[in-house]
This record gives sequence, structure tokens and C-alpha cells, in this order.
Amino acid sequence: MSIVKKMLNIDGRILFVIMFIAVAFPLLHPIVLPMVIQPYSQQAYDFANSIPNGSYVLVEGGNIAATDPACGPALSLFVYHMMTKNCKLVFFELTAEGAFWTQKEINVGLGKLPASVPAQNGVNWVNLGYIAGQESGAAALAANIRSTVSKDYFGTSIDTIPMMNNINTAKDFQAAFWFGGSEGSVPYGVRQLVMPYNLPLGASCTTNEAPNYSPYLQAGQLKGLFAGVRGSAEYEFLMGVPGTALGQSMATNIGGLYWLILILLGNILYFISRARGEK
Amino acid sequence: MSERLVKINIPILLTAVLGIFMIIQFYFPLPQEAATTSNILMSFTTIVSAAALMLGSVILTIAHGKKILEKKPEWYYSILYVIPFAIITILGLISVQGASFAWVYNNITSPIGAALYSLTAFYITSAAYRVFRARNWSAAVLLVVSFIILMMLLPVGDYLVPPVMPIGQWLLSVPSNAGYRGMIMGTSLGVIGLGIRIFTGRQKEHLGIREEKKEAS
Repeated sequence: MSIVKKMLNIDGRILFVIMFIAVAFPLLHPIVLPMVIQPYSQQAYDFANSIPNGSYVLVEGGNIAATDPACGPALSLFVYHMMTKNCKLVFFELTAEGAFWTQKEINVGLGKLPASVPAQNGVNWVNLGYIAGQESGAAALAANIRSTVSKDYFGTSIDTIPMMNNINTAKDFQAAFWFGGSEGSVPYGVRQLVMPYNLPLGASCTTNEAPNYSPYLQAGQLKGLFAGVRGSAEYEFLMGVPGTALGQSMATNIGGLYWLILILLGNILYFISRARGEK
Repeated sequence: MSERLVKINIPILLTAVLGIFMIIQFYFPLPQEAATTSNILMSFTTIVSAAALMLGSVILTIAHGKKILEKKPEWYYSILYVIPFAIITILGLISVQGASFAWVYNNITSPIGAALYSLTAFYITSAAYRVFRARNWSAAVLLVVSFIILMMLLPVGDYLVPPVMPIGQWLLSVPSNAGYRGMIMGTSLGVIGLGIRIFTGRQKEHLGIREEKKEAS
């Protein structure tokens, strides 16, 4: 067997070990490399930054265990960002697991805030928890919060939460942000918040979902998009608040470059093998 | 009342009337009473969905429980479902805010979820080397486009090869966008068609009725 053939039939475990080292090493020894900000991330940051101080912002948290490492940093930073603008945040989740991860990222974001910034539960933010029904649930919440959910994530009656006074429909909000993770729910936000209520909407999702949303971005229905760990890292970079995403972006770089090298190498070896007439 | 009337005709009529009522408000302004009714109906969906979730959990647990009790083939795998389900349910009923419930998420659910998602990286590694080949012109185009998009999505990609950003953005904005927009339109038209079929009673799968097409003799 020729060396080309041997390389083409290399044991998959060798490829996997190199992949593991390529991802694990930068995570253990994070280095921040220079990066160019993607237009969609810049738009999402500009949109978040343009939300007027003191606005009510509706936030969907769709991250789960699998997507929280990539998209969670953007959510926690969004909490930090909005709180420093004295905005009132109303969270809800369309997955049961999302309720837990959203609350976790809220706590991370609040933990970064200086003591001088008010961030009291029920006064500055409220987590309504899991809303069943997927898109229908989102539509019901947008139409009438109190008929959809009566208590928040902590079991407090919504009627006793001070910041929910006079807040009952999507019309009462000035902006919305949809942290959809990989659940594919960002179009729900476009259909149930943007179209009927004209609510400006930004979003975050995993990298693989980002190309699906470019029609909404081009149409202006989405004001911006933080895509995957890169989007989260760019948000941290733009905000000047380094976090876990910037550290992880190095692992993405090395892992991605390893894939590209494998694709090139595999094709070069394939063509050499074919030119030699090997089967 | 005949069985057909109760099981088929009335549900179809209800679906059609309520469905048309919910759709019509997007096209015509309705009186306040109608808008209130529509909000109530929308809130029903969350209740029904939550009930369906609970019902699904109960049915799944009963099925696994039966499998264990009757020692059916591979019954021991069902234990892996029933025991964690019981523990999480009890912890959740005690308090979803409790440290024990959070511990389960942080130390079991999170690593398992992240590990499962991370496995994709290894599958792609193998596929990148062994399968992703320019075997013909179509595959070569796919290969080049994927290479550019992947390079663009890497944080360091456009720093190493600056042209990937404008080329990648163009690929996303023009060909990909055109294709995806067409797909959205097609899906939407399909949903409208499906809605009409349900309202007119030609589609009965949502009632648990599967009608086999008569094969042409």
C-alpha cells in the first residue's frame, strides 16, 4: 500500500486525538487573537446600544446545556449592558430547560455589575419562566402576559411585582432580544413580536443557524445577530468586558483551522491517489 | 349522536371556525370582545401544551415502568430513564430554586448536553478528511463555498485571509439568501395549503385518523 493510500486510511482515532488537543489546549491556555467584527454582530451591538435608557425590554432565553457555553456569554453580557442603561428586563423561555439556563446567565450578568447599579429582582428585572406552546405560547404572551402566566420563575405573583405594573402586552415594550440558542425559534420572534407589534428585535443563535436568519436581517426584521461563540466574543470585545467567550474563540480558531487543513489534505491526497490510478 | 359526528365532523367544524377566527384578525380590525376572546384562546394553547407535556411524561414513564416489570428485552435501559426521572421530579417538586435541583443541572445535565453537542466536532473531523471531496464539479463548488464560509466564521479567518469576509458576506447575502427566502415562501404556502385542507376536512391526521390513499388499480 502506497503512503498516500495509508494516509487516506489513517486511523480515525488519531484525527480525534489531534482534534481534542487542538480544542483543549487553547481552553486551558487562553490567548486572545486579533479579530475583525462581523457586520451582523456590529449591528446587534449598535441596536442594543441604541435602546433608550430606562426602556422595557422583552428577552427570550432559549439556551440549553448544549448551547449555553457558546451563546450564554452574550446573554449575560446583554443583562449587564441593559442594566447599566437602567433598562427593565422581562425574560421568558419557550423551553423548560431554557428557564434554568437563562436564570443562570442572568445571575452571571448581575454578578458583573458594580454595586452602584440597581439590579433588583422585581424592580429592574423579572424572569417569567417557561411558557409552554412554542410559537403559540410566544403569541399568547405577546397578546396578554397575565392570561398566559400568573407567577414568575420564583413563584411570585406577577400582580405583586412592581415593575410589571401597567405592563401586559408586547405593545408596552420598547425593544426585544431573542436568545434562541439552537432551538430555531428566532423566526417566532419575527412573526409574533416584530410583525404584529412593530417591536424592534435583535437576536443570538448558534453559528450553524446564523445563515438561516440572513433573510430577516436583510429585510430589517432583525436588527442584528450575535452568532455562536464568535458573536459572544465580539460582543465582549465591543463592550470592553472580557469574558469566557473571548477565551473560547481561540479554541474555535484552532479547531476550525484544523478542519480546513484536513479538508485540503484529504482532497490533495485524493487527487494524487486518483492520478496514480489507485482505487 | 353518531360516532362520526362526534369524532370527526364536530372537531373539523371547531377547527375551521376557530382557525378562521384567529386568522381573520390579522386582516380586519375586530371589536374588543372578539380580540379578548382571541387572547383567551391563545392562552388556552399554553395550558393545553403544558398538559400535553405532562401527559407525555406520564405515558413515557408508564411504558418504561411496564418494560421493567415485565422484564422485556433490554429492560435495564429503562431504569436509566425511570430513576433519574423520579429523582428530578421529586427535587423539582420540592423546589426548582433549591441547591439540589441546580446541582443536577450544573453537574449532570450541563456536562452531558455539552459533551453530546461536542461530539459533532469529532464527526465533522472525520467527515472533513474522508468524505468532503471534490469528486465532481458540484462537489467542488460546495467544497469551495464551505471553505470560504468556514474561514469567514472563524474569529481569526478574515484576519488571516481578508477577502473571505466580503466574499463570504456576498455568498450569504445573495445566493444563500435567495435560496432560503424561496424556501421560506414555499414553506409558508405549504402551511396555508395544509390549513385549508384541515379547515375543509380533507386532512384528518390531527384527529388521529390516517386515511390510506386508494391505489390505482
